[in-house]
Amino acid sequence: MYLDRFVNGTGQYIDDLKFPNMLYMSVVRSPYAHARIKTVSGGLNALEIKGFYNMKNDDNAEPIFAIDEVRYVGQPVAAVFSENRYESEDLIEGVDVDYEPINDAVTTIEASLKSKPIFGLKNNILSTTETGKTFDESEVKYDIKVKDTIDIGRVLANPMETRGIIADYRNGVLHIYVSSQSIHRLKNYFVKSLSQFGISEKNIVVHHVDTGGAFGLKAAMYPEYIAACYASMKYKKPVKWIETRTEHINSAHGGRGIRADITVYAKNDGEITGLDGDVYIDNGAYYVDTASDDLGNVIHLMTGPYKIEKAHLYGHYVLTNKSLNGWYRGAGKPEAGIVMERMIDLLADKLNMDMAEIRLKNAIDAPFKSPLGLEFKTPAKSLLEDALKYFDYEKKAKEKNVGIALFMLDQDAAPGETCRLIVKGGIIHVYFGGDVHGQGHELFARSILNKELGVEEDKVILELPDTEILKEGVGTWGSRSAIIHGSALIKAAELLRKDAIKKFGKYDKDILLNNEFDELYYYKVDYNEYTPNFNMVTSDPHDPDSIKIYSYYDIGKKLNEKNIMGQIEGGAIQAISEVLCETIRYSEDGQVLTTNITDSGLLTADKIPEFHTKLVENPSGFTDMAKGVAESPSTGIPIALARSIEVQLKTRINKFPIDRLELFNRVL
Amino acid sequence: MMVNIRVNGKQYKKDIEPRLLLVNFLRDELNLTGTHIGCDTSNCGACTVLMDGKSVKSCTVLAMQANNHEITTIEHEDPELDAIKDAYVEEQGLQCGFCTPGMIIESFYLLKNAGDKEVDDDYIKKNLRGNLCRCTGYRSIIDSIKKANKNIKEREEIHVSR
Repeated sequence: MYLDRFVNGTGQYIDDLKFPNMLYMSVVRSPYAHARIKTVSGGLNALEIKGFYNMKNDDNAEPIFAIDEVRYVGQPVAAVFSENRYESEDLIEGVDVDYEPINDAVTTIEASLKSKPIFGLKNNILSTTETGKTFDESEVKYDIKVKDTIDIGRVLANPMETRGIIADYRNGVLHIYVSSQSIHRLKNYFVKSLSQFGISEKNIVVHHVDTGGAFGLKAAMYPEYIAACYASMKYKKPVKWIETRTEHINSAHGGRGIRADITVYAKNDGEITGLDGDVYIDNGAYYVDTASDDLGNVIHLMTGPYKIEKAHLYGHYVLTNKSLNGWYRGAGKPEAGIVMERMIDLLADKLNMDMAEIRLKNAIDAPFKSPLGLEFKTPAKSLLEDALKYFDYEKKAKEKNVGIALFMLDQDAAPGETCRLIVKGGIIHVYFGGDVHGQGHELFARSILNKELGVEEDKVILELPDTEILKEGVGTWGSRSAIIHGSALIKAAELLRKDAIKKFGKYDKDILLNNEFDELYYYKVDYNEYTPNFNMVTSDPHDPDSIKIYSYYDIGKKLNEKNIMGQIEGGAIQAISEVLCETIRYSEDGQVLTTNITDSGLLTADKIPEFHTKLVENPSGFTDMAKGVAESPSTGIPIALARSIEVQLKTRINKFPIDRLELFNRVL
Repeated sequence: MMVNIRVNGKQYKKDIEPRLLLVNFLRDELNLTGTHIGCDTSNCGACTVLMDGKSVKSCTVLAMQANNHEITTIEHEDPELDAIKDAYVEEQGLQCGFCTPGMIIESFYLLKNAGDKEVDDDYIKKNLRGNLCRCTGYRSIIDSIKKANKNIKEREEIHVSR
């Protein structure tokens, strides 16, 4: 089992794999946020590979290696190779790049909006989208309107294992081993990005390896991956690239990075009647497909658990001289919740209403089609009432150190997931379409098959799939792992049972394990599940040990309680650092000021909060009845913690991270 | 240059480049890949090993500095280390597993060196600040260490009573 493998140090992460004659790749990167490249000589560079990797070939796609211009610090310009890891880094010095710096870099949304056009467009907005219907103020009944700008800084995934890949072109087939959340999603990218080099779908196989954390980062495509593949085909040798942490901080795609200018319309009794405004995403220097998910989630989910009749939002993709936008735990969902809840607290303060009362007033109490286009089947009001009562909000609120959060967790169930079960040698080998990177899929795989098929848990092994053994698959992200893999597994187990009965006239576990079977099931789902959830936080902003997290989460059905608690505790510490100190910092001219993983703002073991958790089980409509959890702490805790600090400091909090060193005794 | 380094009780004599880091010596020369590289800057602790019983970050120790010294890694066979590993499994003190070898070696170190101090949350938190974990939020890691301490103590008592 993975737990045994990992505690013994026998996991096989990407950097643990070694192939004969393997080359190490090191990347020459731009030291400038914006510069023209006059000449480049040495290494593998754009003189040889003049192509793009992100499936879009227009002026704002990012090239694999910079062509004539660099737009951010850390952008790949060339790559060098050696059989010796140290020597490949030495070779970086041998690549000569003649830059002509352009001193016009923009590193914030504000600066980009104010700047002259610098990306070859009429302004620095790459494109604009919208949700809901525009409305005129005269169409809304309101007594009061409140406006604010909420800023949420860039946060980088920073998994403990950085990005890494081995491309191995052998016998006409390109085998790609990659630290990943979805080998199938990546294969799709590889097929499209590598066709320009004359290799087709049937000759590309992507292999999952033990993956040391991802948080959204490892479901996306990167130029270094394509460079490694090209080099392997060129040199006819395996090529390994392992990102250094410094490269990660400079170049890996960063999540969050949102500015929202929002207006909320309401009546004096607290009823919200309308919401509109503009949301801007820090897109980074080139087009990137992840940004449409991040921004899309913000502008679709914002009204969340509230019965707001009219809403309209513009979403703008703003180009900046930074590494590109990427996914980070929640990918726009926490941002939507944070913006809405910061506005509702502002409204409550203006109306002198209690923060729970105003939420109860507006929470949906029946299925509701939101004006931003989503259908919420599960009402939020009763859960809010239950949670407030369970944690005795009324009494705690008197301490004036409480913040609360109500939000809809959007679980990315669609389009479903695959599961293949191969029974051989007395073992059930499980292959999932979504690739585990810390969620413990193997735990529920074992318990579910024990329950469904009566086999001992140690007869079940979760295998690392490749795109041959499992031709189709979706991925592990979006609070979907337990719900969608568990359900696919139950269905595949049903097929096994039926097959055994068909072949042997009856089912028992010995018949199953003493014979060979092979079943594949694609559990198809055409909707996402939306579940209301609640957090409360109390704190003393001057005491580092004071943070208490209260979570009231509807998880449908507990598949493995310790595993669920681990997701909540892990999400909590990320949430706390996002509120207090975590971001990637840039100078005005685009230099990355964050120099290492500690500087990024990750918290250490002495900063953990106290937990009070209530897991509610209202079964979902999925076969295993589970609901998601992993993105709930990322959404609810920042909201409630920010409010808890705000009520005590009596200073409006509309910027994340808050970044005030006096908070929590300067220890952070 | 030639170095003599004892790793997990076994003597290794190797001709190495002077600039070779201990972590690369372990991973690339000895193929002991349980020790991981998380940051290269001695911030994260994924590469934690023991040198003559003291915890060090092997990404910022040169292999030649370990010449004639004794190194202990996650691959070391030791009943106390095994008890810690068991506790991590029981308490699910890991998710992606990448920080785990460093965490466990640091746990081994802080339990061995607790002396008269009580192995409680405060003691563990204080001694675990050099090791980052991005998945677990540390709660289950602290619980794993407490459980390991309890199991080791109980076993010692059994030995004494026998």
